[in-house]
Amino acid sequence: MTALGDILHLLFTANLWQAALAAAVLLLLPALGGVISERSGVVNIAMEGMMLTGAFFAVVANLAWHNVWLATGVAMLSGALMASIHAIVSIRFRADQIVSGIAINIFAAGLTVFLVNRIYGVQDIGHVGQSELLPNINVPGLDQIPFFGKVLFQQNVIVYVALILLVLMHLLLFRTRLGLRIRSVGEHPQAADTAGINVYAIRYGAVITSGLLSGLAGAFLAIGVSNTFVPNMTDGRGYIALAAMIFGKWTPFGAFVACLIFGLGQAIYDNNSIIHVSPYLLSMLPYLLTLVVLAGLVGRSTPPAADGLPYVAGSE
Amino acid sequence: MPIGSVILAFIIGALIVAVTGANPFDAYSGLLCGGFGIACSQGENPALQLSNTVVFMIPLLTTGVAVALPFRAGLFNIGAEGQLLAGSVACTAIGIKFAGLPAPVLIPMVLIGGMLAGALWAGVAGVLKATVGAHEVVTTIMLNYVAQWLVRYLIIGGPLQLAPGTSRSSPIGVNAQLPTLLPADNSLIIFGLPASVFRVHWGLAIALAAVGAFAFLLWRTSLGYEIRAVGQSQKAARYAGVSVRRTIIVTMLIAGAFSGLAGAIQISGVDHSLTDKYFSDTTGFDAIAVALLGLGSAVGIILAAVLFGALHSGGAIMQSDSGISSNLVLVLQALILFSIAANFVGQIARLIPGIRRPQALPPELPPAAPLMTEAAAPPPEPA
Repeated sequence: MTALGDILHLLFTANLWQAALAAAVLLLLPALGGVISERSGVVNIAMEGMMLTGAFFAVVANLAWHNVWLATGVAMLSGALMASIHAIVSIRFRADQIVSGIAINIFAAGLTVFLVNRIYGVQDIGHVGQSELLPNINVPGLDQIPFFGKVLFQQNVIVYVALILLVLMHLLLFRTRLGLRIRSVGEHPQAADTAGINVYAIRYGAVITSGLLSGLAGAFLAIGVSNTFVPNMTDGRGYIALAAMIFGKWTPFGAFVACLIFGLGQAIYDNNSIIHVSPYLLSMLPYLLTLVVLAGLVGRSTPPAADGLPYVAGSE
Repeated sequence: MPIGSVILAFIIGALIVAVTGANPFDAYSGLLCGGFGIACSQGENPALQLSNTVVFMIPLLTTGVAVALPFRAGLFNIGAEGQLLAGSVACTAIGIKFAGLPAPVLIPMVLIGGMLAGALWAGVAGVLKATVGAHEVVTTIMLNYVAQWLVRYLIIGGPLQLAPGTSRSSPIGVNAQLPTLLPADNSLIIFGLPASVFRVHWGLAIALAAVGAFAFLLWRTSLGYEIRAVGQSQKAARYAGVSVRRTIIVTMLIAGAFSGLAGAIQISGVDHSLTDKYFSDTTGFDAIAVALLGLGSAVGIILAAVLFGALHSGGAIMQSDSGISSNLVLVLQALILFSIAANFVGQIARLIPGIRRPQALPPELPPAAPLMTEAAAPPPEPA
């Protein structure tokens, strides 16, 4: 029972929640990407690959130019480039979007290691200097608030960016004309087309946005949380983001809640040595929870109606 | 068409190699040597390379079937990897626990145990699909990761760990091991090498028989007819008296058994213990390419498995001969998938209606069931 008491005690420490929020943001960015892509009707299981690509190019650019912002930009662009392959293949060529997503993930896993080998020769890519990592920023004044100051206002710059993006994504999807268009394209592309909406343009934009967001998450992972690139360093985070998207019923805030749950689990494990449960068993939890949600035990989770269906102009 | 996809992928792959400053001819001659024992520059033994290709091909045959069969029913099984891992776990556990039993009893036990574990893993996805309509793509992805973390747990700190500090299981009993085709005898010299280096094992015969069983099941049994009917049109299948739900579950169970068999054969025939190699195993994903490239037919699957077996075997030789990372093989594999999906998926879809998602809801499902199909209700608007 002392172990349980220790966990309860841990839950009231700011350190835990600070770590949980950072871990959640790493999942939130690709999850938001998944939300916008699937809301527009393009199934996206490629966040893993886009994030990995972003992580790799963030390190490459940072080592080359020693500029963390430039590196972050390069990471986002590389994620977007991967996304545009997925977009072209699945929108223009109407390929099966799941096959294309799998191909992106395999492509990213192979290409990044292939390029490490081509550019750096050896397996070790090298490390980014401490001063060239994405900085932690304490918001003056607010960071002194007891508990919440530490959790919310002593965070990495990407955490603030991600939380702003979360709100923006929600407003975009549910409070703007463009958001209505994105959703209508995902629900009923024929009707949207009839109403004069360019289905293809909306879908390209949404998929490429998912690449930008996943690339940003990759940068946060490689030159924020870590300081180097290692093969397959995303280690399933893109798929946990996919799970969070489903868990959150294809809404930004729903996905965020799921990311927080998954992030909290991660932080509890990292921050204590009391629970004698294998970390590997704990790592299963996000996937098991998602299966439970899918089984309908915790309310239904339904994707947009035209999710995964290629659109052919003029078709019924 | 599939051959065109492969050629296109190799051309783009050559461009990627050339752009990054290496010689594509070096890369591909390395692959050719490692895969088929042709054009070897460093004195590699051709027979050994062919033997390695066959060893890589064996699990691709059964997992290829495990993806191809659900395609015919309109299901996309991307969980072959998790099912394979479940099979290898079961095989390892049984092979350690019952190591004292004689081989004629123990070998069928580990193989059937692997099949049952794989079937169980896939069955979860099948039941969720048939009862609440949860999309099998998502559930099998989740099950893949559950299996992967389960393997890590079992051999790092878990009950199957060999010794503290290691990341492998104890070896399975000698009687649980599938024998190699050639006697493991170092005094016997074949093709200039001791016979024991040729690792081709009797799993080859089992896997080829499994592909044959797949073709027979699909085209010569009433279950196969039902599977194809469900894949063509769930509505029509139902009018013909086929239970769509039952067919979905049975299809996934059988597919899982094929994948589980692959995992059991790998442990029993090649590795003899569960190792950290299995964390990064990609056989179940290669299987998707095998099934697509093979157009879901038995002969096609065998040919595609030969190609991917050769690529895997060749990657190692390419890396050691020309210094080009064996990860080029993954790049080529992705390019093959892209070119099949982008250019030829229409053709394939007409041959295998299964690639498309089912077009209609099975009416035996309650109308309010939370279904992840096209006909499902749109997501509720947040207030």
